Amino acid sequence: MLADYRNTIYHCLKCGACRHAYEIYMPICPSGMKYGFDSHYAIGRISLARAVIDEEVKLDADVMRRIYTCTSCGACDEQCHDAVGVDPLQVIEEFKCEAVEKGLIPPEVRDYLKHMNVYGNPYLLPAEDRGKWALNSDIEVFDGQEYLFYVGDVGSYDERGRKIARAVSGALATAGISFGILGEKEMTDGNEINRVGEKGLYEYFATANIDLFKEHGVRKIITLSPHAYNAFKNDYPGWGGNFEVSHYSQVLARAIGEKRLKPEGTEGVRVTFHDPCFLGRHNQEYAAPRQVLNAIPGVELVEMERTQKNALCCGGGGGNFFTDLLGSGPKSPGRIRVREAIETGARIIVTACPKCFNMLDDAVKAENAEDRIVVKDLSQILS
Amino acid sequence: MENNKDQIRQSLVSIVGEENVSGEIPDMIPYIRDSYSTMMGRRIPLPDFVVMPETAEEVQKIVLLANEHLMPVYPRSIGANIAGSALPYREGGMVLDLKRMDRILEINEDTMTATIQPGVTWGQLRKEANKKGLDIIPIGGPYQTSPVGNHLLTNITPYSSKYHCDRAVTLKVVLPTGKMLRTGSWASAQGGDTNPYFRYAYGPDITGMFRGSLGNFGVIVEMVERLRPVAPVEKDISFGFRELGPCLKALQAIERLEFTRTCQIYNNMLAAHLVLAPHRIKEPGERERLLAKMPPYQLGIGLGGTEDMVALFEKIALEEVSKHGGYPFQLEPELESVAKGASRDIMHMYAPFSGFAAVIGCLPITHVAEINDIVKDLVKKYDIRDPISGEPQEHELIVIPYDRGSTVYVEQEILYDPAADRATLEPVMQCLRECYARIVGQYGASHTIPNKTLMKMLVPSYVEILVGFKKMVDPNGIMLPGGPYSLE
Repeated sequence: MLADYRNTIYHCLKCGACRHAYEIYMPICPSGMKYGFDSHYAIGRISLARAVIDEEVKLDADVMRRIYTCTSCGACDEQCHDAVGVDPLQVIEEFKCEAVEKGLIPPEVRDYLKHMNVYGNPYLLPAEDRGKWALNSDIEVFDGQEYLFYVGDVGSYDERGRKIARAVSGALATAGISFGILGEKEMTDGNEINRVGEKGLYEYFATANIDLFKEHGVRKIITLSPHAYNAFKNDYPGWGGNFEVSHYSQVLARAIGEKRLKPEGTEGVRVTFHDPCFLGRHNQEYAAPRQVLNAIPGVELVEMERTQKNALCCGGGGGNFFTDLLGSGPKSPGRIRVREAIETGARIIVTACPKCFNMLDDAVKAENAEDRIVVKDLSQILS
Repeated sequence: MENNKDQIRQSLVSIVGEENVSGEIPDMIPYIRDSYSTMMGRRIPLPDFVVMPETAEEVQKIVLLANEHLMPVYPRSIGANIAGSALPYREGGMVLDLKRMDRILEINEDTMTATIQPGVTWGQLRKEANKKGLDIIPIGGPYQTSPVGNHLLTNITPYSSKYHCDRAVTLKVVLPTGKMLRTGSWASAQGGDTNPYFRYAYGPDITGMFRGSLGNFGVIVEMVERLRPVAPVEKDISFGFRELGPCLKALQAIERLEFTRTCQIYNNMLAAHLVLAPHRIKEPGERERLLAKMPPYQLGIGLGGTEDMVALFEKIALEEVSKHGGYPFQLEPELESVAKGASRDIMHMYAPFSGFAAVIGCLPITHVAEINDIVKDLVKKYDIRDPISGEPQEHELIVIPYDRGSTVYVEQEILYDPAADRATLEPVMQCLRECYARIVGQYGASHTIPNKTLMKMLVPSYVEILVGFKKMVDPNGIMLPGGPYSLE
């Protein structure tokens, strides 16, 4: 219940630290940058939470539209936690849970959850299609290999995601890593279901996944997506799902460190790295993807000003990748991020998340910047 | 009435565009709250609109429209709103959210100034100034607040003893009538844009009329702000004292030698809170361990110049401090960042619960110990408890010299937990009121437009001038009506 967070809500100083990144002094909230009104920043959402628990305003769909534009990127927590000790994101996410319980969610969120409930994926496609990305390849079905390679919804169904899944598989194979996939048996990891506030459905998928993994004797998991990595690493242990979880960038960085993977050289190219929020801010993994990039001969890594803990979200978190409540336009975070990347002089934006990849790739097109910059997944720049 | 509202909305949309006007309740709720109104249990009415202009011309058109409809206007710069100064107190008003006006229009290396819009933050200004070998003049405020907002509040909290506390040079203001005013040398119709860099041109100091005006007199759309040169060597040092009296004497002696860049005194409670991040302060025993290591009072000094100059200044500071029983004390990095200004660590002074009642006043250094005792006694009288330990509270104290110590800025913080019940908060409120009544009544120690209670303590002719100026620039009384700081 939102009321359980009363102290956190009352402790907001209304100072606005949630809007700007300390040290680089740049705007950091993707939804606030898009819409401008305080209601789309953590400072305003906390005010709305307070108005709800003080019964000054009804929790309704109008209020919830302001809450659901939050991408759960964690940038506000990063700033506010060290400034005044408040973590706004937990309040925002509880807000979403309460809205789900009361059936007061925007239609876009309702439809997303309905699709997850009925189809088990947001693409409305059958489970049998999950493993199709691996057809006509040497990728094996999991049968006691060292690792389960968990691909997830975007890697399984989305065309660009499938290409990334194939590139990651290729890199893992080149590094001599023993892995298999679950194919049509794979289920959604549920991270986005959780982030839009449907705890019950999340628990259903999480416990089903845990049972499935245990049934297959899975002990170690490599995830394609940082979102799945976050769910498996941080939430699943609460339901007894204790697996050794790695994001693929961590596995590749280890393989390079142990000289099991020697990236081929490329013609000199300047790249910049976009930190996925669920790899970086939520799980503090900033080093692994950079280790991989720095190991590729000919690659020059230049950082955007908003990087690592201060990275700007692409706009795809918190379920927004599927609900698109943030919408498009020049002020959409993806497009702002692309312009920021172009300013570095980089020719490639590298990321390590299929959702970020899609958001940024679409943004490059919207900016008409295809001749200036392209987006690649970390696995694709290796191959 | 609704038709009129629709008509106003349409007009606003035609000025700033659909996406920058809202009359929807969820968009307006965040603008009716701040830290103090919450403590005071005040209910603020919803405005009719929140509007986000991007240019001075848009602000002008909006203000003209507000005049036409006699609609209250409540401007806010970046909206780090804490003490009730930018809330829409009267029903049917319009909040002017200026955060889109966030451009630094010029950084002039010759005049060491920046021309900025109201949505520019201290941090943003520092970053750009640093690129040209300049820096902001140190302030006590945090990085995400606005220099323009700071000027409208008090333009003080001067962590700088080297530079005059009032950093605004000239202003471009949309007056409540919609007319555009330029102050100082900027007032020259022909030459103003060539030279907006001199405050004291053309008679009385009109820039100063807006300092501490809290938005009563118009909307500042541009401000020329003083910057400072970054010295080749800059160093912050600290000294410990067992008692406040000798610490104040040492500060006075050092300021008279005119070599410091910054200078401030903290009591140990404030120093400990600044050092401890909010999550650390809640750890059992953490604050007590730090307090046990800290001197009761710390005198911090910022030095700047060549290497030789700084070494000499440090030696002189040590000699002066020693005469008053002070001793070198290792400066914590958090206190160093606070002294540089526009830090995040300054926010720790409100930790762990963000509830603070600030008793602020400026007065001769000789009275500091007395007003410190007044607050101490009143905190005891009202039995205000430490929000962490539940023990009787020791309040926070900071002392910063103005103009080489002719007067000093004193801020004393009484902390509380805003989530506490009314019965706990009521004594804090009463204590705060009595603190102000005592220090203003006995020592004339205030710093901004007084609220309506304190206004009664001023000589009538002073109030007449303030109110008269307000009537002249705002004949329809559209700016900031209804609030505690309104001059209507």
